[in-house]
Amino acid sequence: MLKKLLLTTTALALSLSLAAPAFADPTVIRLVSKDLLSTNPPDVAHIERIEAALKAQGTDLDIQIVDLPSSGYADALGVMLLSGDIPDLIYFQGGDAKMADQGILEDLNPWIEKSPNLKAALWPHNVERLKNYPYLLYVYPPRAPQPVIRKDWLDKLGIAAPTTVDEYEAFFKAIHDADLDGDGTPGNTFGVTTADNTNELDSIFNQAFGITGTWMKDAAGEWVNSRITDQEKAKLTWYAKLGAEGLYDKEYVTSKFDVKEDKFYTGKAGVIFGSSAEVIDIYGGKMRQAHPDANIELALLPIPSGPGGQGLSATDVSKESRGFAIATTSQHKEEVAKLLDFMASTEGQMMDRMGFEGEEYTKSGDTYTITDKMSTWYARFFAAANFVPPVEWKSAAAQESLKNITTWFKPDNAFVWPSDYAADLDATENVYRAWVYKFISGEASMDQWDAFVAEWKAAGGDRLNEYARTKLNG
Amino acid sequence: MSSVEQNATAIASVSGNVPISRRVANGIRRWWPYYVMLAPGLLFFLIWHYFPIWEAKMAFEQVRIIPPNLWVGLKHFQTLFASPVFYQVLANTLIISTLKILFVFPVPIIVALLLNEVRSGKLRKFVQSAIYLPHFLSWVVIAGIFIAILSPSDGAVNQITGLFGIKPTAFMTDGNSSRWVLVFSEIWRSAGWDSLLYLAAIIGIDQSLYEAAELDGANRWQKVWHVTIPGIVPTIATLFILNMGMFLSADLNQVINFLNDVNRGQIDILDTYVYRIGLRTGEYSLATAAGLFKAVFGMILILSAHFVSKRLTGKGVW
Repeated sequence: MLKKLLLTTTALALSLSLAAPAFADPTVIRLVSKDLLSTNPPDVAHIERIEAALKAQGTDLDIQIVDLPSSGYADALGVMLLSGDIPDLIYFQGGDAKMADQGILEDLNPWIEKSPNLKAALWPHNVERLKNYPYLLYVYPPRAPQPVIRKDWLDKLGIAAPTTVDEYEAFFKAIHDADLDGDGTPGNTFGVTTADNTNELDSIFNQAFGITGTWMKDAAGEWVNSRITDQEKAKLTWYAKLGAEGLYDKEYVTSKFDVKEDKFYTGKAGVIFGSSAEVIDIYGGKMRQAHPDANIELALLPIPSGPGGQGLSATDVSKESRGFAIATTSQHKEEVAKLLDFMASTEGQMMDRMGFEGEEYTKSGDTYTITDKMSTWYARFFAAANFVPPVEWKSAAAQESLKNITTWFKPDNAFVWPSDYAADLDATENVYRAWVYKFISGEASMDQWDAFVAEWKAAGGDRLNEYARTKLNG
Repeated sequence: MSSVEQNATAIASVSGNVPISRRVANGIRRWWPYYVMLAPGLLFFLIWHYFPIWEAKMAFEQVRIIPPNLWVGLKHFQTLFASPVFYQVLANTLIISTLKILFVFPVPIIVALLLNEVRSGKLRKFVQSAIYLPHFLSWVVIAGIFIAILSPSDGAVNQITGLFGIKPTAFMTDGNSSRWVLVFSEIWRSAGWDSLLYLAAIIGIDQSLYEAAELDGANRWQKVWHVTIPGIVPTIATLFILNMGMFLSADLNQVINFLNDVNRGQIDILDTYVYRIGLRTGEYSLATAAGLFKAVFGMILILSAHFVSKRLTGKGVW
């Protein structure tokens, strides 16, 4: 009897231990990301199907979304982390360097080595950035603002799209002089406008004027910041000319992105810059909303050549400015790496980029059809370099902008600054921005270039140049 | 016997030789509903105003997410005071705050005095409603409105001045005019709302004083000068002292929405500087050091204002 009882107990214990994995709780992973909220049903549904797909592959995860407001996300995240609440997977939008300094962020390179999908999904700039700063991962094409114009306006102008700096000037003048908006008053449309500063113009004109990177060698062979070089002076002289002739909107400095867009949609500006393929398509959609009677398409303008060369502005590869990080404090790094690898896979990309079948797209056999809802869907994780969607929904202009990014990719020589230089960086940035406006608005003439350079150096520029030499000379 | 006299008797009955702990316990038992009503306010101040004071020690530490923090003494203050930008933003803060005290602070008083003189009830209500409304708009919206109407190319202000042959002015980028934009937008937003406190104080003035002034032959202006204004002096003094305590807080939300690359030299204030190089880059200790500097400076100002006010008007905050 005792023997029977012992046998039964042993068999029960064995069967329970064997069955244990089947009843084990899923591994909990806490994820904090901008625009990913547990109160947003599509976000929750998206996460649930990712969990299901991973479970089918043998990784049982319970991905818990940590809610943070989208507005002021970076500040709220910093405060949350400072309070000791550190999720396993963290999306940063700035403020990560301080965390990396304190050893909170995991070196991602070893994990990427072990993640075949993720490794194959990287863009060239991701690879470079990971070499310099291995804590953040943002698998998206680099943001490089590129100019667009209404296609019907381009046709009305009857001239070819500009391909050189001089042609751009003539092109902006043609827009300005023609009454393209049909309000009966020629001369009240700017050739081009930007928001906040001249960064968007720099994106296509830096290389044309020979500004090859953040740091360039001067006549003496010393590294100096490109902002105080002759090439920069030549570029700003040209910008000032555009401003003086009314071709460039001098009120860029008080224009936020919404004001900039409004000027484009209402015909007050002919050309604006879209920072990514998605943004270019958003501009196209909004333009059609503003003019529902006309089926307006946007045309991408070429990257111009100039006296100094041709190309998009050099891409900063010192580090990702935003992206995902794994916390060193996480007890489930393996699982987090599996999640990231899955999101970079074809199956993960289909979910993340295409949305839901029946919602963002429909499928009939092998034919995919995009619905109107696709315009509001966005990838929550990655846009893998090697993923080709089964159907293309981007406009010709947006697709061309992506091609340009690949064609003209050039790594910059910028680097990560120690926190001791924060005040100098802030002060020199302020001096540069203020003088750029003075030059463009005509408040200062280009003869005062030396005064600008002296002020920039006094504001901390000399210290920045010295540190750059120690970094770049090795 | 009135309720006040009853309470006084009750206090007397629990005083005397009774131990203080017993007296406190008796007091709480007797007036517990009032203590319950007081509790939320008390908790609010404890949690949001007193407990954080302890964390001001961050200004002397290198904050580490995984404790312990490292003690670095005055390093962050040295960093702060070594930056030339710090003195520029401090000067901007002092200038903007002084302008606001001089030009914004008196406006609600004048508005309240004027509203009090309006005899038509309907007109007064309409004006009150109209001037309160801007208080409920966010600075993002207000900045958008001001930037649009002050635009040198198609802004309403420049179009009107253009009718008189005046050249367009770029208010948001032209020298010191941005500071005046801050002052006027602040007046537009808060004058109506802030006048409420003064209106309440005016309503509380004893009507017999006006009757006595009328018997003495005072006209409306003399009644305002000799009765109304002296009647609201304690309110003005208290609000002035409280405003002095906020002197170095020139309103982050307002300034950040009007800030651009050109006017940064004129309207970049301590709060925007701390936000930019402190919070955006995770330099919390540096931000706390700047915050502590502001708090100490504010405390000195509030104490100075209190003692000056006490000497001049006999009224202070305590």
